[in-house]
Amino acid sequence: MLRLENVSKIYPTSARPALDDVSVDVEAGEFVFLIGPSGSGKSTLLRLLLREETPTRGSVYVANWNVARLPNRKVPKLRQRMGCVFQDFRLLPTRSVADNVAFALEVTGKSEHTIRTVVPEMLELVNLTGKADRMPAELSGGEAQRVAIARALANRPLVLLADEPTGNLDPETSDDIMLLLDRINRAGTTVVMATHDRQIVDAMRRRVVELHLGRLARDDARGVYGARR
Amino acid sequence: MNGLGFVWREAVAGLRRNVTMSVAMMLTTAISLGMLGAGLLAVRTIDRTQDLYYSQLAVQVALDEPTSAGDPDCGSPVCRGLRDQLQADPLVAGVTYESRDAAFQRFLRIYAGQSILQLVRPQSLPATLRVTLKDPTRGDAIVQEFSTRPGVRNVVDQRRLVEDLFTFLGSVRNAAFGLASVQALAALLLISNTIQVSAFTRRTEVGIMRLVGATRWYTQVPFLIEAVITGVVGAILATGGLVLGKLFFIDRLLSGRLISNAIPAVGMSDVLLFVAPLLIVIGAVIAAATGYVTLRLYVRS
Repeated sequence: MLRLENVSKIYPTSARPALDDVSVDVEAGEFVFLIGPSGSGKSTLLRLLLREETPTRGSVYVANWNVARLPNRKVPKLRQRMGCVFQDFRLLPTRSVADNVAFALEVTGKSEHTIRTVVPEMLELVNLTGKADRMPAELSGGEAQRVAIARALANRPLVLLADEPTGNLDPETSDDIMLLLDRINRAGTTVVMATHDRQIVDAMRRRVVELHLGRLARDDARGVYGARR
Repeated sequence: MNGLGFVWREAVAGLRRNVTMSVAMMLTTAISLGMLGAGLLAVRTIDRTQDLYYSQLAVQVALDEPTSAGDPDCGSPVCRGLRDQLQADPLVAGVTYESRDAAFQRFLRIYAGQSILQLVRPQSLPATLRVTLKDPTRGDAIVQEFSTRPGVRNVVDQRRLVEDLFTFLGSVRNAAFGLASVQALAALLLISNTIQVSAFTRRTEVGIMRLVGATRWYTQVPFLIEAVITGVVGAILATGGLVLGKLFFIDRLLSGRLISNAIPAVGMSDVLLFVAPLLIVIGAVIAAATGYVTLRLYVRS
């Protein structure tokens, strides 16, 4: 589903490569933790998958797309099949919960009819049916992240990329989000989650890919966060 | 179409979010297009005036006193010789003879009731050969060729006499176009700046759009529509300005006794059917082009 082949990424402003000859292969339906300290290259890896960046060397594949070689006009198609959530939720503050989810469908050209059926479905999936008309400012952090997840899933992506989705949440709320991500994964969506959260990684016992200074340090099928450094 | 509604709503929301800038943009565009329109009307008036004059203007070959005297039909050998030579000239379209008496009658008609009539006798006026040319700009050649012929008093190219008028109208046109282009530059910069501000204000929204896989249609076209609306509204305001200018300025100016027969009036159809559609098309196209270039240069797709 996702494949990086000997990928290096060097930013023009930095002497050290952000990623250095990294190869990773993720099967459809897997749940993968991407761990490593700040600056280890986790975000760069996610950005390469989304074609926010192109690799300096190596190839990136998502499903059947050769991501680095994809013509610009086809990038939207790629991104429609990839859901994204972030530490800071990135909701539109002037739109209600339902409208935030609808936004992803609207700007990708889905019909009124599709929007009317998919939005309630997504809100039900993330357990926010009663809060469709709330504004983002009225939500707790956990609720806001669930709206972001509903939006990311609205276009039925093949892969969900989550960049520190629990970074702004307390442990209990984090557990709820992890239960939700686990449920989404069990329903068939591949999940790649970058995180710093030792407890979560140790509790889930899923595949762990660790980056250190841009190099692949570890790839365990059922890993833990690892020894304290 | 689903996306059309979205793009339109976003564009209108963009214009409303920044009302002061939108109004400044539209007014600047309007003034620029108004100047352009005035210039176009001047060009049209010049063309019409030239048509009006050039159809009537001729090169007048005035005959000297002995040749003019007592010759009602160009029967004298000198007159006939000149007429034949003129008719044989490849530049000449036609030659008509006006005798001294006919000239005097015309003079009486033109200046009826004025004191100058007391001073003029038929003898003061020459008989003339009126020469119309195939190309009215080639009068010089006839002047040169025939001025020194025997029996000729002088040769006058009437076109020379009205050239000052065209020089004046031409400078009106040039001034209008000059102001239009300076103002157009200001309008372009304003449109470009407004799009940048607009894109910056909406960066979160556009960022999310890009993330969920919105195509350029959704991320960029709203900004283009914003610019095009500005251009079209500017053109409509400019047309309104030109209509007012015509009614309260041009019409009064050209209705003066002296000038009313010299310059043809500017018609309402010239403003509404000729200039207005041009301004709308030019306004829309230039605004869209500015928007496109701005997005290319300053806004990440």
